[in-house]
Amino acid sequence: MADATTATVPATVSRPASRSQLRSIALPSLLANWVLLAGLFAVGMLYASGGSSARDLLISDLLINLVLVLGFHIFIGNTGVLSFGHLGIASVAAYTMALLAVPTDRKTVLIPNAPWGIPEIELSPLVASLIGIGVGIVVAALLGLVAARTSGLAATMITLAFLSIVRQVAENRKDLTGGAQNLSSVPRLEGWSWPVFGAFIAVLIAVFFRSSKTGRLAVATREDELAAGAMGIEVFTPRLVAFVVSGGLVAFGGILRVQSLGSIGPSQFSFEFTILILAMLVVGGMRTVTGAIAGTVFITVGKEVTRFLGDGPDFLGFTWPVVDGLPDLFLAGSLLAVLLTRPNGLLGEFDLGGWVTQRFRRSAPAMPVPGEPAADAGFAVVAPQQATGGELVTSGLGVVFGGFTAVDDVSITVAPGRIHGLIGPNGAGKTTFVNLLTGIVEPTTGTVRLGDKELRGAPYKRARDGVARTFQNLRVFPSLSVRENVAVADLVAHDHRSHRVGVSVDELLALSGLTHMADRSAATLDYGNQRRLEIARAAALRPDFLLLDEPTSGMSSSESLEMVDHVRRVATAIGAGVLVIDHDLGFITNICEHITVLDQGAVLAEGTAEEIQRDPRVIEAYLGSGHA
Amino acid sequence: MTQFVQNLIDGLGNGSTYALLAVGVSMLFGVMHLVNFAHGELLTIGAYVIYGMRSNDISWWATIPVAILSAVMLSMLIEFVAFRRVRTASAFTLLLTSFAIEILSHAAWRIGVSSTPRRFEAPDIAFKVVEIGPFNIEVWDVVSIAVAVACFIGTAIMLRTTMFGLSIRAASEDFDAARLMGVKANRVISGAFAFAGLLAGIAGAIWLVRRGQADPRMGAEPLLKAVIAAIIGGLGSLPGAVVGGLSLGIAEVYFRSWLPSDLQGLTDSFVFVVIAILFVVRPQGLFNVQSAERV
Repeated sequence: MADATTATVPATVSRPASRSQLRSIALPSLLANWVLLAGLFAVGMLYASGGSSARDLLISDLLINLVLVLGFHIFIGNTGVLSFGHLGIASVAAYTMALLAVPTDRKTVLIPNAPWGIPEIELSPLVASLIGIGVGIVVAALLGLVAARTSGLAATMITLAFLSIVRQVAENRKDLTGGAQNLSSVPRLEGWSWPVFGAFIAVLIAVFFRSSKTGRLAVATREDELAAGAMGIEVFTPRLVAFVVSGGLVAFGGILRVQSLGSIGPSQFSFEFTILILAMLVVGGMRTVTGAIAGTVFITVGKEVTRFLGDGPDFLGFTWPVVDGLPDLFLAGSLLAVLLTRPNGLLGEFDLGGWVTQRFRRSAPAMPVPGEPAADAGFAVVAPQQATGGELVTSGLGVVFGGFTAVDDVSITVAPGRIHGLIGPNGAGKTTFVNLLTGIVEPTTGTVRLGDKELRGAPYKRARDGVARTFQNLRVFPSLSVRENVAVADLVAHDHRSHRVGVSVDELLALSGLTHMADRSAATLDYGNQRRLEIARAAALRPDFLLLDEPTSGMSSSESLEMVDHVRRVATAIGAGVLVIDHDLGFITNICEHITVLDQGAVLAEGTAEEIQRDPRVIEAYLGSGHA
Repeated sequence: MTQFVQNLIDGLGNGSTYALLAVGVSMLFGVMHLVNFAHGELLTIGAYVIYGMRSNDISWWATIPVAILSAVMLSMLIEFVAFRRVRTASAFTLLLTSFAIEILSHAAWRIGVSSTPRRFEAPDIAFKVVEIGPFNIEVWDVVSIAVAVACFIGTAIMLRTTMFGLSIRAASEDFDAARLMGVKANRVISGAFAFAGLLAGIAGAIWLVRRGQADPRMGAEPLLKAVIAAIIGGLGSLPGAVVGGLSLGIAEVYFRSWLPSDLQGLTDSFVFVVIAILFVVRPQGLFNVQSAERV
């Protein structure tokens, strides 16, 4: 919220985005997906009512698989990290439940030598299940601590190792698990009520996680880890939380499965089963709940049909050949076909909830007319903020790569609220300097200070301390909407930059002329709009300083002139200083009051635009000695 | 001491198969950041080729080159049909694609041949033992080690002296820059798959002579070991893959002779735990591979 000590009155007090967002995204999505699920269930009931108990089993199988798939979706879909270990968590949870719930008279036969007095314990299935889920969550937290700390591929391998460790332990601790011989007499579920309840709950958890703050931060790290860091988003915590929530749901699914089968064995939660669940997730579209539901139905039905055909039935007038392995062929074939042709799944980013909301909104008359540049109108409503806080100072900043000194002893001072230019020919070390400032590259020498505070550590910490950057090679969150791109940064600002006056997401979008495309995914914007979106996103972080890395690269000179105005407007609106890096002398002298020239990693000259333009050393560096 | 040396030779014999596979895995990771779990299927096709030819009484001398060739062809086919299409996709898609191919291959062998194993007789040399001083040396272990060493030397020479080797090294360093320098992406990647297929074919031949059977899922386990070996050595590093494969082979043998019998079944688990710890304390593997992301 607005700080009382700030000199100017904020134009509008920006609202806490999370609550209103939660209501506007989660509720329609939840209802839409629940309706979809209910519809599917009705079809399933119709199908089952005309047939044998095998059909009943198929429906309850499908519902339980859906719980598992949604559990996988919460971690994999939102973080983009592939995990093979989730069924290991399910296995541990289900074994816990089974060991506590199997009747004592059966346990004294099956596992008489089990430790911890397990043969004497007999809990009600519900209590045992709750304990099982609890154990699953603890295991997920431990595994998540390792998996969320490492990068993508390493996390995948560690979870794969975990799955096979669980299986080996289950096979070898015969006293506890009965080994390869299944532990039978697990109390069985009657009817469909639990699987149905489980599926609806799973949809609820998945939808709310996706629209929760943690979920949205996790999605940002999925979209672009580096850009997320530059927006003050830490990778570890959202991933860990996602892992634990998804682990808990998968534990629940595993317990449902074992109770539906009535027995548990080491090979039940196998690697093959993991691939099956992953195929269900990926085929439909791993990023949305609707996609997860669609994939589960598609694969389950497809496997059932191929199993029927592979058994050699008399069907359509002739006897089919017996084909062993046809369901596996279908599974691998459809997974491969989807990966090769539509890697984001059959439905891609489609979510029923999002679709319904958009349809609803499109019919509302309040939308601005597309194509009308809203920038000036937006500018009018945003009152300029006065710059506060200290200077951004680098002292003796330098880095050596191998034997090459990329940046050498660079000391500059950027005054609050001022636009400072950093210019130099290609290869002068400009981008490396920005990377040093923002913590992407560790400096060999020197320090960075903002006001009284020394900036140090990972990029996300420095972003929270008040330095927001854009990237030379454009790093918007591609599959998120334009609005969500900015809103995620706003979310971080609420937690870490609340002492500064903010400009609301809508006002930033208006200021950037993006209002009429706010619901489009960022990847579909043209180059200039993506640039403006990146600046708007950085501004939403309410930084003390904006660092713009070549904001006009690839632009024509008239576009560059527009960009000059745009940068000034945004900086004034949020009351931030700007450090703008470019190699275009014209652009920099147009926009900056104070300029530092970098050449071969070191400061060549410093001063006002006029001084720089007259400096013979600068002319030489830019145009060669002949012009000096 | 005798036991120690015996174990060492045994371990190096097993390890050379892992190392040959691991070099291929690591090379493919280098050129396209793919951990190829379908690589083990190259062993499977070799096994079925051997089974097919041996059941028609074709001599081992003719069988082995054909088995190796089949691995090369399958490797190139997989690249052409599948990986070429997802080359620029995320690591996630690449990894899952390789698993899909693995399962597809399992299903294809089940449907095409049978899910029950098909046996073929091992040649005499496979289990021949000679006594040298106090040691009982299995001849095939020595052959395996010698063949593997020859392959490693051959690979090293190929990488250093040929244009293709240079392209592979350049592509592993920085693919985009290599393309700008005139390296043809399709040709390098296809070549890398062929070469990795060749090494896998040779590894398969060494392994299959003793194994004496073909079954649909047989490729999965040795491949998993090879991936572990490549990870130990640092994915992308070929010397690392050799060291990783050999040390994994040796570690397994010693784990087996030292672990108490009721923990024997957990050998793999111990290895996995060691790997996990390695990942946390030294995520880049034992051999450092530079892959800084450009900003």
